Amino acid sequence: MVGTPVLFIAIPLLAAFLIPLLGMIWKELVRIVPGLVLIYLLILAVNLLDHVMVHGPIIEIIAGWAPPIGINLVFSAFSGFLVTIMIFLGLLIWLYSYRFKKNVGYEPAKKYFLLLMMLITGSVGIVLTGDIFNMFVFIEITGISAYGLTAFYTGRDSAEASFKYLMLGSIASTFLLLAIMIIYSQLGTLNMADIANRIHTMNPTYKIISLIFFITALGIEAEIFPLNGWAPDAYSEAPGPVGAAFAGIVVKASVYAIIRYIFTIFDVDGAFNFLIIIGMLTLIIAEMAAIRQEKLKRMLAYSSIGQMGLVLVAFGFGTEEGVYAALFLMLNHAIIKSLLFFSGSYLVYNSKDKLIAEMNGLGKKLPITSFLFALGAFAIIGLPPFAGFWSKLSVLTAAADKNMIFIMSLILFVSLIELVYYLRVVNRLYNSKEKASSIEVKKPTANALITMLVLGGLILLIGFYPDVVTGVLHKASAALMDKSQYIHNVLSINQ
Amino acid sequence: MELFINILGAIVTFLVAFIVGMTYGGLNRKITARVQNRKGPPFYQNFIDAFKLSSKETAIHHGIMHYLGPAFLMVSSVMTLLIVPVFTNNGWFPNLNFKGDLIFLIYIMTFGPLGMALGSGQTGNPNAAIGVTRGLSQMVGFEIPWVMALIALMIQYHTTSIEGLMEAQAQTGTWFMFSSPFAFIAAILAMFGMFRYSPFDIVSAPTELASGPASENGGKYLFVMMSSGSVFTFAKLTLYVDLFLGGAANLPVLLLKTFALYLIPILYGMTTPRYRTEQAIRWFWGWPSFFGLLAIIQAVIL
Amino acid sequence: MATLYLIFIIFLGGAILTYYAGKLGSVLQDIIFLATILGATSLFYAGVHINDFMSFNPGGITLTWGINYFGWLFSLIVLGLGSLAAVYSVGYMKGKKRRGYFYFNFILSIMAMLGILVSQDLISFFIFWEIMTWSSYLMVIYNGKDDQKLGLKYFIFSAIGAYAMLMAIVMVHSVTNTFLIGNMIEAYPQMSLSWQIWIPILFLTAFGVKAAMMPLHVWAPGAYSSSPMAYTSVFSGALSKMGIYGMVIILVTMISHLPQGIWFRETLAWLGGLTAALGTLWAIKQDDAKKLLAYSSIAQLGYIITGVAIGTELGLLAGLFLAVMHALFKGTLFMVVGAIEKQTGTTNFTEVTGLIRKMPWTFFSALLAIIALAGIPPLGGFVGKWMLYEALITSNHYLLVILIFFASTAAFLYCYKFLFGFFMGQEEKEWEHVKEAPATMVVPMVLMALFMAVLGSWPGIILNPINNGLVDLGFVSTYKHLWDTSILFNSWGNQVVLKPLLYSVVAIFVFFAIVLIWKGFKGTRYVSTKDISSSGEVPGENENLTFSLGFAQPFLRAVGPVMKRQIDRYYTEFADGLESFFEFLRRIYTGNGQTYAIYVFVFVVIVLLFKDVLF
Repeated sequence: MVGTPVLFIAIPLLAAFLIPLLGMIWKELVRIVPGLVLIYLLILAVNLLDHVMVHGPIIEIIAGWAPPIGINLVFSAFSGFLVTIMIFLGLLIWLYSYRFKKNVGYEPAKKYFLLLMMLITGSVGIVLTGDIFNMFVFIEITGISAYGLTAFYTGRDSAEASFKYLMLGSIASTFLLLAIMIIYSQLGTLNMADIANRIHTMNPTYKIISLIFFITALGIEAEIFPLNGWAPDAYSEAPGPVGAAFAGIVVKASVYAIIRYIFTIFDVDGAFNFLIIIGMLTLIIAEMAAIRQEKLKRMLAYSSIGQMGLVLVAFGFGTEEGVYAALFLMLNHAIIKSLLFFSGSYLVYNSKDKLIAEMNGLGKKLPITSFLFALGAFAIIGLPPFAGFWSKLSVLTAAADKNMIFIMSLILFVSLIELVYYLRVVNRLYNSKEKASSIEVKKPTANALITMLVLGGLILLIGFYPDVVTGVLHKASAALMDKSQYIHNVLSINQ
Repeated sequence: MELFINILGAIVTFLVAFIVGMTYGGLNRKITARVQNRKGPPFYQNFIDAFKLSSKETAIHHGIMHYLGPAFLMVSSVMTLLIVPVFTNNGWFPNLNFKGDLIFLIYIMTFGPLGMALGSGQTGNPNAAIGVTRGLSQMVGFEIPWVMALIALMIQYHTTSIEGLMEAQAQTGTWFMFSSPFAFIAAILAMFGMFRYSPFDIVSAPTELASGPASENGGKYLFVMMSSGSVFTFAKLTLYVDLFLGGAANLPVLLLKTFALYLIPILYGMTTPRYRTEQAIRWFWGWPSFFGLLAIIQAVIL
Repeated sequence: MATLYLIFIIFLGGAILTYYAGKLGSVLQDIIFLATILGATSLFYAGVHINDFMSFNPGGITLTWGINYFGWLFSLIVLGLGSLAAVYSVGYMKGKKRRGYFYFNFILSIMAMLGILVSQDLISFFIFWEIMTWSSYLMVIYNGKDDQKLGLKYFIFSAIGAYAMLMAIVMVHSVTNTFLIGNMIEAYPQMSLSWQIWIPILFLTAFGVKAAMMPLHVWAPGAYSSSPMAYTSVFSGALSKMGIYGMVIILVTMISHLPQGIWFRETLAWLGGLTAALGTLWAIKQDDAKKLLAYSSIAQLGYIITGVAIGTELGLLAGLFLAVMHALFKGTLFMVVGAIEKQTGTTNFTEVTGLIRKMPWTFFSALLAIIALAGIPPLGGFVGKWMLYEALITSNHYLLVILIFFASTAAFLYCYKFLFGFFMGQEEKEWEHVKEAPATMVVPMVLMALFMAVLGSWPGIILNPINNGLVDLGFVSTYKHLWDTSILFNSWGNQVVLKPLLYSVVAIFVFFAIVLIWKGFKGTRYVSTKDISSSGEVPGENENLTFSLGFAQPFLRAVGPVMKRQIDRYYTEFADGLESFFEFLRRIYTGNGQTYAIYVFVFVVIVLLFKDVLF
């Protein structure tokens, strides 16, 4: 044990507050410190995850009050796995945007890294916390930093996108608060394990209404259709790495929250089918919208929404295979979609409208970036032998085991749409016949290139040797499925 | 010794086929003339033509394929002749030691025209190529009823060999012409295309294409083509006799039957103007194929 | 058994090495490329034992690799054609751009095909299947100009097939809990009837796409004609056979257990027949040799599908024999087109004529390949055709046999068009400089052409492996001992003894040829193709009288009504319709924050209203 879960929240939060101060000492520190913090957290996360795999979850009590009264953090195989992905992704985002100073001044860079640290703090907090009100606080932290990041390019469009995000975010907060109030008024507790333990005593109507409010609130953050109106705008107006952060970190945290509510806290069986329904709706509508997009980032945004829909469907199967598939999807989505956002933002770097139509013949001008984009596209479609294949296979296997043939064929149909729009982009990259784009290309900086290569390497590694992750995934999904163990672990901490 | 007799038999068969085919060709010209109220050449005119052509010096060629084109034609005719059983008991002319598979025969019959097509293609004469495509198109036309007729026979008697079909006729005692009338009709109609007499003479089309594939060929080339045509005519007629008229036990009977059959294509449409290619094709896919279908239905039911 | 690993490592390593070796020099690249393909091939035949399997477990899934006799038969196509095409590629790619890209994908395709054959479980089968798909897709867009989105079309159809297969795979997995093909076959008879019907349909969709079966063939003309010819010979010759490979397995192991299997067989056989007929008609219409051969491939695959679909032993033998033949002759023909393209820069019949005297060896290979394609004796193509007809007739498919006959006869038209268009006709000044293709290109073509000739008289060379393969599939071979190297037999007891028969053909032909050449050829003078009679006039030097525009138009007029409708257009319309529907749906995202807020409340209200139904 090299540290405790609380460090995941304390350190980045502290770093976020210190960044402006450090910047006064030496401007470069603004960019170095987040990296150091994230490297440390990654080491810590991997170590803890390793420990958790063998010894079971770590429950940490904050401020000396034992649950159910106090706040506790739970670092189980499930939440720990997600935290590790998030921090890893955060590190890559930091690495990718490290040298952005060249064209972005000191002030914006300071804000950027500050907000990024806050975002990571909030998201990690959502995953680790064992208290619903505490989760609300973290959601607010995440939200506020996300609004800020969306408006990073100070312009009319980003302000508008940020405002939409903010507006829907406030609605989400309202519903979340309402839901928490209902729970508290009924059960008088805010601790998840305690609620889960006593949820059967609750009045079913109240229970379901609070569940609906939870799903609505978290669904806004998790980009569930039709609550995801903010997402395409926010993704396309925010800088490329922020898009990756939304897709890889924020949305994952929100999906985690939904899953935690449905799997652990509530005992409503219909919720699983509801997950499948809204997941499918999200998936289908998002992919159908994606195929008609003209801007690259919007396309990636819709695709990201669709992937999250698929994750929800996989969770909705409610079986261990389903959870396994969903986690695998989340992992792959984090890796692949980040690669797509990273390489994609270089492909349309100098273009004003960021149109797909402007990407003709870039394969010649930016060979490595284009290759990595193509690799990412192939992987996210689910072509073997790349990473995406295994997750797609596990989703389908899980569906088949539940005998949901119709869902399966819908998923495959939607995959076809996905394939079409990704290949259209790849085709353009390598199409020399049509007039090549006249826009001057921007060569990726060395750190960005390293980031992308790392991600590309991971895609190949998982593709060829899925065993690197399957062990963790199995443990993590088992941890989520075992509800009574969770309750027992948390509530027995005060004895 | 046996081999020697075989070879001798093959040569005799070939000579007979050559003479008979040439004579039939001459008779055709005579009959056509009489129908058109002309006097016409004597029936041995073809021999005179052949003699004249063969004695001409061949001076030029347009390349190796052109040179070999007529030879391909000849090979195909001889092969066809050797595969078709000439007489029912088959004692005298066993020819190839082969049971005479019909499908093989159909393909062998196409071999020559295709080789010739290559030869005339190399001459660079556009008429030749146009004629070839017309010929191939017409072949697609008449092969349908022809194959239908053959398949009807095959399925009815569970054999694909000519000998087997001849034996079947001998056993039942009736010719297929009577027991499988539809197949016979279809085959006879297909024969029009095979023999390419008016109105199906779209390949050589004298006034249009300047004799089509044969253009650019003179002298010995034309002689080989002509003689192979004669042999082919005899072989085809013999095949029809074998399949539908119970075969022939000796030469006079064979001549009688073949000539009777030969009259059908030359007399049909002697005064009719030439069809256009697509009309010819569609003609074959009309009634002839309908009869072919009837033949198959009959064969399935029986 | 580690040899199998080693082979795949050689392939993968060779692919990557070849890709980067381009920086060191093109000769080195060629050498590494050839060494990879030929080395892996020889290692495969030297070191891999038949029916020796090995297993390993990546990601908790048991995968089994090994080759059986049936796969071995197809490995002959893949590796044999692959090696020859590799040699050819070296000549073909000389001086071309993106050689590394080409070689990389070439090696990966061969590897993937071999991988399909050694996969004894569905997952590695699928993985290799997809590698095959995307490596060939990358070849299709090799030229960098994806006109009319041919590559995309290919990929979409492949993906439809692949997803259908994936669906079947997971369905099978949910029953058997393993991915092994053997277990699937064992479990199949116990499945529910609807699954027994659906699983073969899904599999056959996947295989039908690759085998270019109607109506899933629309990708093929474009994909075959736009990838580099050196690869198309493998693409059409070997890659499409993977569809046949899968089809045979499904037909024999699944459908024969199914009481309703007869419908599958009939449908497939008829689809094959229609594919053959319509493919032929469209091939006649083409003016570009690549397109012509592409449609011809579709047609030929139609014969093969018909053969394997009728499912009698003779039918399977015919289909598989034709598959081998098709690999040979279509491989050769695409190589011929590649050679002509390289030497003249065009593949259009209306542009290039009269090459016979300039490229005699290319012509020779083309001639033999065309003879084999047309099924004319004495080449191997006839053997396959003969068996197919006999199989159809003896299994009571009377109308189908007519259709096949029609297709084969009509095929003469495009066969002639191919030979005439390139090699015959008037020799033009424009092409006077054209030389024979380099030896690396000519040798593979001639070798394959000669092998086709050998197979005509000794088909047993291939029939015996086919028979072994069928026995491996659990097919009861009743009279396999009769499949001598030179005797063909049908179930009515008719036999064709090929040897003496064909000897006589050859003897007679040689006799005529010698007599005529002896006497005449030397004594006659060559005159150019301009020196012809043309309505009494002699064409001038620059007058090209070659008949190439509107070739076979009367025939096309005759069959016009059949060709009026193109299934391609329906697909395009369907896709367009879908896209406009998507466009409509996309407008849900109005970009207006107020609407989005309303959506949230509407969502809450609806869910609250229906909460009793939903939860």
